[in-house]
Formats: sequence, structure tokens, C-alpha cells
Amino acid sequence: MAVEEAQSANRGGIVSRLATWTENLSEQTYALLLLAPGFLILLLFAFWPLASSFRMSFFKDVVVGPESLGGFVGFENYVKLLTDSNPFATLTFLDPAMETGIFQQALILTLLFAIISVAGETILGFAYAMLMKAEYRGQRFVRVLIIIPWAIPIVIQGMIFFLLFRPGYGLLTGPLHQLGIFPQLPLGDAFSGFVIVTVADVWKTSAFMALLILAGMESVNQDLYDVADVMGASTWQRFRYITFPLVFPALMVAMLFRTMGALRVYGIIESTGVGCSTVPSMTCLVTQFTFGSTTLYGSAAAVSVLIAITVGVFISIYLLFIRYSNQSLGLA
Amino acid sequence: MSIDAQDHDDAETLDDQDEESKNRVQAWAADWIRNPQKAYTVMGVFLGGVLLTTTLFPLYWLFAVAMAPPGQTNIPLIPTRIDLYAFVDIFQQVPFARFMFNSLFYATTVTVVVILVASLAGYAFGRLDFRGKLPLLFSLLVLSWFPPATLFLPLFRAFNQQVKMLGLFTLPTEIYGTPGAVIAPLSAFTMPLAVFILMTFYAQIPDGLEDAARVEGSSRIGALFRVIMPLSAPGVATAGILTFITVYTEFFFSFLMTGDKASEWAPIVNGVLAFQSRYTVRYDLQAAASLVAIVPVAILVVLAQDKIVSGLTQGALKE
Repeated sequence: MAVEEAQSANRGGIVSRLATWTENLSEQTYALLLLAPGFLILLLFAFWPLASSFRMSFFKDVVVGPESLGGFVGFENYVKLLTDSNPFATLTFLDPAMETGIFQQALILTLLFAIISVAGETILGFAYAMLMKAEYRGQRFVRVLIIIPWAIPIVIQGMIFFLLFRPGYGLLTGPLHQLGIFPQLPLGDAFSGFVIVTVADVWKTSAFMALLILAGMESVNQDLYDVADVMGASTWQRFRYITFPLVFPALMVAMLFRTMGALRVYGIIESTGVGCSTVPSMTCLVTQFTFGSTTLYGSAAAVSVLIAITVGVFISIYLLFIRYSNQSLGLA
Repeated sequence: MSIDAQDHDDAETLDDQDEESKNRVQAWAADWIRNPQKAYTVMGVFLGGVLLTTTLFPLYWLFAVAMAPPGQTNIPLIPTRIDLYAFVDIFQQVPFARFMFNSLFYATTVTVVVILVASLAGYAFGRLDFRGKLPLLFSLLVLSWFPPATLFLPLFRAFNQQVKMLGLFTLPTEIYGTPGAVIAPLSAFTMPLAVFILMTFYAQIPDGLEDAARVEGSSRIGALFRVIMPLSAPGVATAGILTFITVYTEFFFSFLMTGDKASEWAPIVNGVLAFQSRYTVRYDLQAAASLVAIVPVAILVVLAQDKIVSGLTQGALKE
């Protein structure tokens, strides 16, 4: 539309007629007209794929043959994923005996990752936000340094941690091995791989958390602090009774965003070189089923629906918690 | 308060060692007890130093690796030489400039598309009353809950295996490996957040300003682009920067929806991996390339940090 505006000088006729036409539309039609381009993109590249994924999850996997999807099987893919291990894809993350179902392993791993990384990011994010909020010389510079990791491409974040833990001669490989914490090849081991991925995630996304918390802090009315000073409140009391309760809603939003991100973790697992076979998150299963040696499109779609359900459950928990705490805290 | 007490204990244990230092430490301790604000400041500076070190050390390590000669196994913490040749070499070994261009192209195009389209939608949601507003808004919200993995498989099949879109039409197979295969899904994926941000900003503009522009003879759409958008500049900037950074740092679609050659519109992901051939891996070049790829977003962060913070403060969190 902006382009049309700009060109109106040389192609005045059509554009002005178009403009006149929009003038005479009712508010209802005009609103729908404005929404049309956005929802067209969303329909093609978001709503249709979602619906299609949902539908595919009810069709049979076809491992061999030209067709990639078999007949309608109802909930069989879900049942297979939730109850027993899939014979075509085995994982040994938590259970070397391969008795635990592949999806259970991925679910437990992803939940662990989400809880640990979001907890770490919240604590660090709050600390960073305080550091960005405080007033001192060079504050703008410090802010930039804190934000930068958030703007770093995931593949480079992975590269950094790969170089730190490179088998044999990464900077931290030797010392941590000598301390007996990590094995000699930390990237190939389930436990140390998980720790590396978590640390890498906390390093990058604490900055995002800090930005949202800082935004919450900046919108707190400064007069409250002046009143607190007059009443002789200590720094801890200022934090406990003003900063924390007023930043709490922003903190919840930030945690919600990060939990959603953590539940679909994938890129950092591949790009650190830890790999999906060592630390299989739920999204990992989707790509493994899609690009693996055996294509399991039906199961892949079922896993992606299960991820969405997991995210939905977490969002509901957050929303319930926010509502509950708003009532009980009676904020400020 | 307990921290002040600890400092005091420390001061006492030092007593016997050195008369002079004892006096000084005692003076500090006494000063801090009288004036806890000072103790908090010192703690804050110390904590801040630790935090900044942990943030910056991984980036410094990239630099240390980039300085090491090719094939060196134990890379020292402090480089033994400063040799910037790796930063030149990355552009000669692989077309790294092209990889970076591809990524920047994706990020810019998606940002422009999303801001334009989300502005129209944000205006409708923020300033107009119409039937079906809530369901449509809710559908956007629900969409932002789904992981990219859910969208991926059908799109991959539509772009690459000629599966019919919407059950109606097939796309040509050439779509896979063109910018469209990345730009389209990422536009859809980043749009909901942009719509929410722009909606809250556009809704805050007083009606009178828009009416005034209309009286002056501006068209309906002209008022959006000439009055509403400029007045919501912090919001537009925030939505734009968030979109740009999301796309530039994105891994999932940019890795899986493209080939791995620069000429096939592969992004930085493949550029960094291109230094691994079957027989050798040039870690020094990978590190140098990583540092170079950070430069554009680092510049963006330096220029726009105030906008990001103020934009988030003013609008995004008030939903």
C-alpha cells in the first residue's frame, strides 16, 4: 500500500480511485480489507500447515514406498508414541535398555530443560535487569554488552560452546574432565551434553529475559521510591515491597515467553554438536522422523501436535498462576 | 545487614597481620555499617563485573580461537600472536559475504513484509470496531503457541514434494531453495507478535489526530501511514527490531528449508558449517566467521537499544 501511495504521482488514476473506493466502505468491510493481506499469509503458511499437521498425525507411517503417508489409523500414532518405544527410532538418553518409550524420554528431557533453563534465566535476567537499570557512567555501554548475546544467531551460539567443549582440546574439556565432572568427550555424553546445552541457552536468552524485566522496572512509578525513601525503607524493603510486586506481571510474561521457547528447543542442540541422538528434545523427534533414515511422517506430525499440547498446558498453568497471584497479592 | 557483619568479621581476622591494613579495613567496615548503601554499591559493582565477564567470555573465546594458527589443538587463553588474516581468509575460502547477504536479505524482507502487513492488521484491531474481532485476535494468540516444528512438515512437503496447499493447488518444486521458502513461513511465524505490539501502540493514538488528518484531505489509508505510524515510531521500531533479530538468529526454518550452497540462498548457518570439509575443519575460520556474522546485529543493538527498551516499556507489556 505504501508503494502504491508513493507511485500515486505517476499512476494517479487507479490509486486515487482505489482510495476513493476505500473511503466509501463501511467500518466492517474496511477492517476486513485491512486484515486480508495478513490473514492470507497466515492462512497459507500457518493455519493450513497446522491443520494439515493435525490431519497427518492420524495417518499411518509408511517406511518404504513412494507414498509417504498410509491409511487413516485414528489415534494409533499417539498411542504408539505414548505407550511403547517405536521400533524404527530408538534412543538411549535416559534408559540404555531401550525400554522407555522414545516420546517419554524426549518429554522428560524437554521438561527438565525448560524448568532448569527458565529458572536460571529468571535469576540471571533479574540480575542483568538491575545492572541495566542502575545509573552510573558507562551504563549505555553495559546495556549493549548485556543485550548482544540475545542478538547472536543460534548457529554461532552453538559454535561458541562447541569450541569451548571440543572433544580433546576445548578450553573447558580438560579441566572439567580432570575434576571428574565431565567425561573426555563431553559433547557425546547425555549428562554433560544436557548441561552444555542448558548453559548455552541460559547464556543467550537471559538477555531477553532481562530486557522484558527491565521494561517492567522502567514502567514502575518513580514516586513510589521517593515515598519509600522518605519513610526510611532499606534497599531490601524497596526491592521486596515495590520493585518485585510491580515487576511481577512483566516477569511472568517474560517467563511465559521463555518457557514456550524452551519447550521447543532444537537449534542449540544441533549447533553445539551435541546432537539430537545424544540430547533428544521433542522437536528433535520431529526432525529425526522427517529427515531420518526412515521417514515417519505420521508420527512426526503426532509429536508436533503433542508439543503444541505441552506448550498449551504450560500456558494455562501460567495464566492460572498469574490470575491467582493477582488476587492473593492484591498487587500494590 | 548480615553482609555488613561478615565484612566486619573479615576485618577482625586480618587484625594481627598488618596494623595499617587493619585500620583501613576497620574503617571501611565501620563506614559500611553506618552507611549500608555503600556496601550495596560495592557488592553491585562486584556482581556486575562477574555477570559481564560471564557474558563476554564466550565471545572473547571466539576471538582467541580465531587468532590461533590453523590446526592448532590446544588454544591458549591469551593469543600468542595477533594475526587478522583469518578475517580475510573467510571471504576467500567460501563465499561468506554471500551467506551473510542471504541472512540479511531474509531478515530485512521479512521485517518489511511483517511491519507493512501487521500495520494494516494492527490498525484494524487497535482502532476499528468490527464483528469477528475477538475470534480473529484469539486465533493469532493461539497461533503463537505452536512450535515451528508443527508448521514445518506440511510446508516442507508443499515446497519440496508437490503436496497440494490447502488441498487446492501445488507449488512449483523450484520454491525449495529460493528465498520464498524461508521468507513465507518466517513472515507467518513472526507476524502475531508484531500485530500485538503494533495494535497496542496504534490504539493509544488519540482519535482527534487522525480526524484532523482526514479533515485535511488525507485518505483513510494515508492517515495510517502519515499519522498513526509516525506517531507510534517506538512501537514500530520495537516490532521491527524484534522481527529482524528473530529472523537473523533463527535456526529451524533457515537450516531446514534451504540447500547448503550460498548460491542456493543458504543463510549464515550453512556459511559457518561450510568451513568443515570431509577431511579438515578450520576452527579458526569458523570462529572468525562467527565474529563477523555478529557485527550487523551488534551494530543494530548499539543503535537501537534505547528504542527496544522504551518500546517494550510503553506498549508491549501493557496487553
